[in-house]
Amino acid sequence: MNMNNGIPLAQASALYRPDADIGSPPVLADPQALLNAFHPDYLGSSVTKLAVGANAGDSCQRELAGLLQAEAIIDEADLAGAPVTDIDVLVIGGGGAGCAAALAAAERGARVLLVTKLRLGDSNTVMAEGGIQVAIEPDDSIQRHIEDTLRGGHDIGNPELVAAMAEDGPDVIRWLIRAGMQFEQTASGDLHTRRAGGMNAARIVHCRDYTGLEMMRVLRESVIQHRAIEVWEQSPAVELLSNEDGRKCVGAVFKSLIDGRFRMVRTHSVILATGGVGRLHLNGFPTSNHLGATGDGLVLAYRIGACLRDLDSFQYHPTGLVYPPHLSGKLVTEGVRAAGAWMLNAAGQRFVDELLPRDIVSAAILRECQEGRGVRVDDGRVGVWLDTPRLERSQPGLLERQFPKLLARFRVSGVDPRHDPLLIHPTLHYQNGGVVIDVNGATTVPGLYAVGEVAGGIHGRNRIMGNALLEIISFGRRAGVAATAQRDRGPKKVTLEHVNRARRDLTLAGIPLTQAAPQILPDYAAKGIWNR
Amino acid sequence: MRAAYCTLNFFDFSHLTKTPMTTDGDNPQTINLTINGVAVAASAAMTLVEAAWHGGVPRVTAVSCLESVCGSCRVLLRRGKEVTVNLACQTFVEDGLEAVFLPPQPPPLHHYEISDFTDGWNIQARFHEIFPEASHCRNCHGCVLSCPKGIDVEGAIALAAAGHFRDAGEAFLECVMCELCDSACPELIAPAHVGLFCRRVTAHFHLRPPNLIYRLEEQRKEKMGLTGASHDEHE
Ligand SMILES: Cc1cc2nc3c(=O)[nH]c(=O)nc-3n(C[C@H](O)[C@H](O)[C@H](O)COP(=O)(O)OP(=O)(O)OC[C@H]3O[C@@H](n4cnc5c(N)ncnc54)[C@H](O)[C@@H]3O)c2cc1C
Ligand code: SF4
Ligand code: SF4
Ligand code: FES
Repeated sequence: MNMNNGIPLAQASALYRPDADIGSPPVLADPQALLNAFHPDYLGSSVTKLAVGANAGDSCQRELAGLLQAEAIIDEADLAGAPVTDIDVLVIGGGGAGCAAALAAAERGARVLLVTKLRLGDSNTVMAEGGIQVAIEPDDSIQRHIEDTLRGGHDIGNPELVAAMAEDGPDVIRWLIRAGMQFEQTASGDLHTRRAGGMNAARIVHCRDYTGLEMMRVLRESVIQHRAIEVWEQSPAVELLSNEDGRKCVGAVFKSLIDGRFRMVRTHSVILATGGVGRLHLNGFPTSNHLGATGDGLVLAYRIGACLRDLDSFQYHPTGLVYPPHLSGKLVTEGVRAAGAWMLNAAGQRFVDELLPRDIVSAAILRECQEGRGVRVDDGRVGVWLDTPRLERSQPGLLERQFPKLLARFRVSGVDPRHDPLLIHPTLHYQNGGVVIDVNGATTVPGLYAVGEVAGGIHGRNRIMGNALLEIISFGRRAGVAATAQRDRGPKKVTLEHVNRARRDLTLAGIPLTQAAPQILPDYAAKGIWNR
Repeated sequence: MRAAYCTLNFFDFSHLTKTPMTTDGDNPQTINLTINGVAVAASAAMTLVEAAWHGGVPRVTAVSCLESVCGSCRVLLRRGKEVTVNLACQTFVEDGLEAVFLPPQPPPLHHYEISDFTDGWNIQARFHEIFPEASHCRNCHGCVLSCPKGIDVEGAIALAAAGHFRDAGEAFLECVMCELCDSACPELIAPAHVGLFCRRVTAHFHLRPPNLIYRLEEQRKEKMGLTGASHDEHE
C-alpha cells in the first residue's frame, strides 16, 4: 500500500466546506474492474497458493499462508510434567460463540471447561454495535433471510448451513431473552427491527447501539454463574492434542500469560471458538478487531488436518478511523452512511455512491488514496472525509440522537463530528471464510468442532450485517449439543503426532521452519510474554 | 518453547511515535510517567495502553477492545496524593502520573442461575437472598467515583434494593463490566453483578415480543404439520 502521497491535512481542511455545493458521485461503470485494481483480496501480490495441508493448491492470503504453513510453538519436551485436566467438553475462546457452546453443553449435563486467551468476554462480540438478523416481521420469512444471505455472499455460501442458521434465528432470540438479554421494543412491545444493506426486509434486532456489549455481558454472567462450567482466563491455546495416529482431536495445550506454564486438557470434544484475524493486520491494514483476534484457531485446526475455505476473502470495512491516532482502525458504523453521510476526497468531491456494497466502497476509497486524492496526516497515513457536519446541518440533532456512542468516543480527543469531518480509511473487519463445518459445527477432523468467526461457509465471500451475531449463537449452541451427545470414553493417549506430521510435510515441501504459529498476540503487545 | 516466535510485524507502529495531526508538525511534546513502576517517555496523544506498549512495559495483557467497551484495562492512577481508577484505553498520558494496571476482580461471591427463577412474584425475596448486602449500602459514593462510564451506581443499588429492577437495570445500560465498582464497595455488594441481575430478570420475566412469538408459533406449527404429515404416510 502506497500511503506516501495525498494532500496535506492543513491544505485539505482549508478546502473543506460543510456547505459547499456538491453534485452526485460519478457513475461507477465497471465495479469489477475497480475491485480488481484496488481491493486487497483481488491483488495478485496479496494471495498465494498453499503448498501443504488439507487445502494444498488453494489460494490463501499471503501472510495467513505463512502462519498456516509454520512450525508449532511447542514440542513434546514442553509437555513433560505439565498437569493434565480431564473434562467432558473443552471450549476454546470466551467470546459469544464460546459462551453459547459452553452453556448449551452445560444445559445438557456436560461438565465444561472454557479456556480463553484474555479475560472472559474480551472479544469481537462485545464490540458489535449494529444488531442481529432474524426474520420475524410479517412481510419477511426465513426463506428470504436465506436468499439474502446467499446472494450477499456471492452465491458461494453453503445453503445447508445458511438454512440452519436462519431457521434457528427466532429460537436464538428467545434463548438470549431467557438468559436475560434486552432488546429494543416498539410502543406495542414488538421487537424493533431495522433494515440494512443487502436485506429485502427489516430484519436487524438490537439493543440501542450496544448490542454486542449487552449480549456479551449477559453470556459472560451466565457462564460465570453456571455451576457446571469452569473458566480459565489468560490462557491461550498454543496447540491441539491428537490420538496416536494424529487423526483425531483429543484435547489442547494452554500456556498461561501470567506464569508461562503449560497445562494440558484431555477430552472427547474440543470446540474451537477463537474468533477472527484482524490483529494480523493483513496486507498492512489497521483493524476494528480486539487484541486477541490473531487467527489462532485457523492455525491450530489446519495443523491437525482440518479443511478450511475462502482463505482469500476478508471484509475491509470502508469507514475505519484514521484520527485520533489511538482510535486508528476503529469502526464508524455503517449506520452513519445509511443516515445520509457522504464521503469526500481531499478536493471536496464525492467519488462513489456511499451505499454500494462494502467491498466496492472500500476499493473506491483506496483508489482515491493511492491516486493522490486522499488527505494526508503528519505521520504519512492517508484517508478521505466522512462528511458528518453536512449530515448534522441537513438533519440537526441526528448524530446525538442516533449515534451517542460515536460522539462519546470523540469527546476525550476534542474532536466533534458535528463540526469536524471524520478522516476514514478501510479497516480489516471480518474473516469471511474459515474452518469447514457441518450443521453441528463439526469439522473434518473427528473430535473437533469450530463455531463463530473462526468457521467458514455461511457468509460466502461477503457477510451482510447482523449475520455474525446470529451465527455465533446458532452454531455455538448446535456444537455444544453435538459435543455433549458424543459419549465415547475419551482418549487413552494424547500425543503431538499431528505436529510431527505437519513438520514432515513442511520439510518435504521445502518450506523452511523459521516461522512459528499461532501468533497469540500482535508483536507490539507481546512484550515480556513471548520471546520473539 | 522451542522455535523462535513468529517474527512478522505487519503493523505500522509509526503513528504512535509521531506527532498527532493537530500539532502541525511542531516538536512532539514528551510526557514522562510511570506505568507498573516502569518509567515511560510517551508523546502527548497516547493513551496509557499505547504508552505501555511504546515504553516496553512487560506483561500488559489486561487489554482487549481499545475502545472502552470491554472493561478489561482497569488502572489505578496516582497524581500526587490523589488516587483514582479508570480504563487505561480511555486515559491519556500526563506528566508525573503513576499508573498501575489492576488485576481482574476475583469471581463474584453471589451465585444464581437464571433458570432457577420460575416465579416472578417472589423475585424480590430471591434478590435479597442472593444479594443480602445490597440493602446495607452506606452511601459512601465509592462506586460512583470509580465508574469510568459515569453511571449512578449508588442510586441504582437503592432502586434495586427497593425492587425497581427495570429502572435499576436501565442505569447500567453502558456498564462495561470492569467491576471497578465492585472493587471499591466496602460492603461487598458487587454492584456490577446487581446491575446485571436487574437487567437480566427484566428481560427474562417481561420481554415477550408479539412479532417474535408469532414467528416461533408459526415455526412450531409447521414442524408439527411436517411430523403429522410423515405420520400419515406411515399409516
Ligand atoms: C467493531 C465490530 C462491530 C461488529 N458489529 C457487528 C454487528 O453489528 N452485527 C454482527 O452480526 N456482527 C458484527 N461484528 C462481527 C461479530 O461481532 C463477530 O464476528 C462475532 O462476535 C465473533 O464472535 P466469536 O465468538 O466467533 O469471536 P470473538 O467474539 O472474537 O471471541 C473469540 C474469543 O476467543 C479468544 N481466543 C482467541 N484465540 C485464542 C486462543 N489461542 N486460545 C484461547 N482463546 C482464544 C479471544 O480472546 C476471544 O475471547 C462486528 C465486529 C466488530 C469487530
Ligand atoms: S457500573 Fe461498575 S462495572 Fe459497570 S462500568 Fe461502572 S464501574 Fe464498571
Ligand atoms: S460503594 Fe457500595 S456501599 Fe458505597 S455507595 Fe456504592 S454500593 Fe453503596
Ligand atoms: S481495552 Fe477494552 S476497555 Fe480498555
